[in-house]
Amino acid sequence: MPLEPPLALGPFRLRVDPARAAAFARETGGDGASVPLAYPAIWLAEPSLFSVVRDLCAELDVVPVHESQSFSYNAPLVAGESYDLSVTMSREDAPPRLTMLATISTLGGEPCARIETMMRLVPRAGLGSAS
Amino acid sequence: MSGAIKVGDTIPETVIGPFDAPSLARYAEVSGDANPLHLDDAVAAAIGFPAPPVHGMKLLAAFEPMLRAWRADLVISSLAGKFVQPILRGETVKLSGRVLRATEDEIFVRLMAYGAARAPGIIGEATLRPRTAT
Repeated sequence: MPLEPPLALGPFRLRVDPARAAAFARETGGDGASVPLAYPAIWLAEPSLFSVVRDLCAELDVVPVHESQSFSYNAPLVAGESYDLSVTMSREDAPPRLTMLATISTLGGEPCARIETMMRLVPRAGLGSAS
Repeated sequence: MSGAIKVGDTIPETVIGPFDAPSLARYAEVSGDANPLHLDDAVAAAIGFPAPPVHGMKLLAAFEPMLRAWRADLVISSLAGKFVQPILRGETVKLSGRVLRATEDEIFVRLMAYGAARAPGIIGEATLRPRTAT
């Protein structure tokens, strides 16, 4: 059950860095011929976005554990192009979970991808000395 | 083309890894996911893992080249996965897939990633479409 109204973040204007896309492809077994489907994971880890998650987790004294991830595309991302990324973040309490829904649009407003990230929020106290 | 694909078809298994510490450090650097759980043996041990788990996203992303190698005439329109249990640094990873639905317009594939454990590390799915239909 949602604990509070979803939090809207963005849009963030972000660019597919060709060198980083090639490096990401290399580290995930790809040949770098196209932008990897999972490349937007890099954007979700951007400090301007992930700091919201980090701050929330600090406030709740929990650790986010990546539970599931999805990427759905209308059109592939193009290396060197810029896009607008908008995120809606919502939290549930049964079980404790944070869901991030992100949409990626071209600068002309055409939606090209939808991303869903689900993170289980694990109490830090349950993680032993790792906390 | 996609008409030649039928329910039950299997995608040739792909074996990746084992991934060592420098490999996980490189992925952390390029992805921005610097969670110490994946990089620091002491943090992993404190949670009860004998070695740091490989980033789930690194493994999920590895299905893409497998699917591209399987059918170059299809484009992948979606890729998703549930991270069921950690696959640890040093484990060989087996990626596999099986067609669950097949029409002229869309192929739906169940994906599995196994590390050393009997249970899968990732249960995933992908949707592919004929290149001309996108």
